[in-house]
Amino acid sequence: MPEPIIIREPTVYRPSPEFFDEVFAHGGMPRDYASPLVAELHRLGPEQLASAGRRRDAIFMQQGITFDATGEDGPVKDRPFPLDLVPRILPAEEWTHIKRGLAQRIRALNHFVDDVYHAREIVRAGIVPWKLIVSRSHFARAVHGIRPPGGVYCHVAGCDLVRDADGSWKVLEDNVRTPSGISYVLENRVAMTRLVPQLFQHYRVRPVDHYPQLLLAALRAVAPSTDEEATVVVWTPGSLNSAYFEHAFLARQMGVELVEASDLVVRDDVLYMRTTSGLERVHSVYRRLDDDFVDPLEFRPDSLLGVPGLVRAYRAGTVAIANAFGTGVADDKAIYHYVPEMIEYYLGEKPILDNVKTYLLSDPEQLAAVLPRLDQLVVKPTSESGGKGVFIGPATPAEELEALADVLRAQPEKWIAQEVVKLSTVPTAGVDGGLSARHVDLRPFAVFGETIKIVPGGLTRVAMVPGSMIVNSSRGGGSKDTWVLEDGMDNDRAEPTMAATLPPALPDLQYGSEWSGQQQQQQQSAEDPDIGRDVRAPCARTRSAKPSPLGEV
Amino acid sequence: MLARIAHELFWLGRNLVRAEHTARMLDGVFSADLQGRPDDPNRVTLGWGSILAIMGGEVDDVARVRRDDVLSSLTLDPDNPTSVVSCIGRAREGARTVRDVISTEMWEAINTTNLTLLEGDLSARLRTGPYSVYQYVKERSALIWGTTSRTMLRDEASAFLAAGGRIESADMVLRMLRVALPIQADVEDVGAVRDGQAIALLAAVGGVQAFRRAVPGQPNALPVANFLLYERAYPDSVAASVESTLNVLQRADSSPRASEPILRLSRLGADLEFQARAEGGSRDLAATCEAVQQELARVDQDIADRYFAGAASPGVVTSSS
Repeated sequence: MPEPIIIREPTVYRPSPEFFDEVFAHGGMPRDYASPLVAELHRLGPEQLASAGRRRDAIFMQQGITFDATGEDGPVKDRPFPLDLVPRILPAEEWTHIKRGLAQRIRALNHFVDDVYHAREIVRAGIVPWKLIVSRSHFARAVHGIRPPGGVYCHVAGCDLVRDADGSWKVLEDNVRTPSGISYVLENRVAMTRLVPQLFQHYRVRPVDHYPQLLLAALRAVAPSTDEEATVVVWTPGSLNSAYFEHAFLARQMGVELVEASDLVVRDDVLYMRTTSGLERVHSVYRRLDDDFVDPLEFRPDSLLGVPGLVRAYRAGTVAIANAFGTGVADDKAIYHYVPEMIEYYLGEKPILDNVKTYLLSDPEQLAAVLPRLDQLVVKPTSESGGKGVFIGPATPAEELEALADVLRAQPEKWIAQEVVKLSTVPTAGVDGGLSARHVDLRPFAVFGETIKIVPGGLTRVAMVPGSMIVNSSRGGGSKDTWVLEDGMDNDRAEPTMAATLPPALPDLQYGSEWSGQQQQQQQSAEDPDIGRDVRAPCARTRSAKPSPLGEV
Repeated sequence: MLARIAHELFWLGRNLVRAEHTARMLDGVFSADLQGRPDDPNRVTLGWGSILAIMGGEVDDVARVRRDDVLSSLTLDPDNPTSVVSCIGRAREGARTVRDVISTEMWEAINTTNLTLLEGDLSARLRTGPYSVYQYVKERSALIWGTTSRTMLRDEASAFLAAGGRIESADMVLRMLRVALPIQADVEDVGAVRDGQAIALLAAVGGVQAFRRAVPGQPNALPVANFLLYERAYPDSVAASVESTLNVLQRADSSPRASEPILRLSRLGADLEFQARAEGGSRDLAATCEAVQQELARVDQDIADRYFAGAASPGVVTSSS
């Protein structure tokens, strides 16, 4: 049994018993899977951790991995993306549970989108009220009756998961429009292997860097059939977007063009991009902007970011759009309430991951029950994202809550209320390298092409303010590298067995200083056409010979 | 120009490029080795034993090769002639011999690199984070070649320097291909086993993004091998290296039509081009790589015969002076 090293240190790490700490169990002993990490962190010490942190900031600034945030003193431009150097570890069985739960949820959401724009069976079955669906701001009348190839709408999905005080995983939010953050998952892993490689040495961590390939394969899989490889593009609203780094990252990693609206044009219901050699057909678009802006003819007419006629091309089936138009209806916070019922209705399965208890304020009874308890609940607007407009009851002054109550009474259908989740904590390094508990959530990323594939782990977001539960990057949250461990963890890492087949014998490296000796050899064997086969022979001597006689001068 | 100087420049180029390739390879394998497990198809598995084999070492039992041994012996061990520090050391000695031919800035860039690599704190950095050491070598290498192209007269001297660099580049890439992706014609399922290796290999030569932009398909074993062998648009492919070696030698040679190495190189370049176009790449890549490497060894000998043969050994010259 490893000793509880850190609790003997002067900088005492004390997780609160009120929350679930993912590294230390109650009593300060590291959990089994975390003890090698704790030992290694201890060996590293706060000083080295702090200096690695400074190197990290410098590297991120150099590489331009930055994020615009809103701090206490107003907007902060271009700060290095805050990666905490203490990783978050998910054991294999934990991950399997999450993965199955997510896949199930995404399948159900995909069914729901299909149903909403076609038969509306779930409405007829009396499960989700039609009035609620059509009143969602992301409901897209324009795509009624369109079924994309393979019936896949939610090609890219990211659900926000949290861990409650009892350690159980719950879904806090779905995101099936344009979830962002995957680029940070990949960059975080690269940075970790460079900055603190020693932390990895007792673990076998599942890699994440195949995400771009998964995404590209999915985008190709849903593209309309073509003789050659389908042309895929990433569509960004432009370089001023706060997630532009990610758009460029994905385009670069997939090796496809990053396009803006002005690069795209629709002719005869076919989408093209303008290239130096004329128009080139586009088969598949990974779009990173909201429905509202994509086509001024069908959605917001004042959009300058859109491509006129795109929805028509989409309807004609000449181009695949990921995610499909109209998926926003499924990740609305009011619809969220119904997801467990959707899973049972469409799939006939019990939900693997639970929702957080949610109250729909459009229901007068629930509203009446919520209003007196506002100081114990979280209240969210239904169609916002990124933590905007969220009121956390226990942390909000009484007068603001009174004002909020008036708003809720006036427009109850635009709000939901949720029980406060006691987010789990993970040790997090401060500027001085000392560890303290911070709250975290988890956003895994799924890709739905022919099947649903989920990258091991995901983006762990950390609230950098002690006690705070606001983890959004746009509100000053940080992130952690998330390690999903291989099955059958062993502390003694096995050496790779892959290259067990003996590599072919190669000619030895040559060294210029041996040239005169070689030269004679060469001249002697110049008539021998097979001299190359013999390259080993003249060089065998060089290995024992001194590397450079010039060095002795 | 003096045959001795040409010879020194040729090997200066080779040593610089070898140092950079070794650093890139070690870095690629190190970061890949930190995650995942060998039988995962997504994992990068160019292993430590493979590296030893690439560097021409004897590997009897691949499983016994330990990461830390390989890292330290191939990076900062001055007694190991294949280590990065030895390559840079030889390059520095070579550059010192030809200080009158190369520009002052080049000499300073090479000499500073050598001095920094010899400082003690680098071995501590290698233990805690090898990335920074390899990053340094890569950056310095880019600086040296950048300074060269900016300050060195494009004369015969620069041609021999470049020829050495490009021929070494082709040799290193061929070595990696032969060890990491030994694709043979009789293997039915080329893809499945070696795909992980393919990505590792691309990462190790620094060509992941170039591949993604140039090739629409997945980075599986066969397309990656074809890319590294035939893609002339990628500067570090074998075909591109052969082509530029040919170009610089044609520039340096007073009568290129009578030059053995130039004839060989143009035939090799045409062969590669023909295979890439007419046959869509070779099925038996292992054999092709071996043949190309042998041909390059002959080119190397031809170069020595034609251009350096008139010179006495530089070792003799310096020790007697």
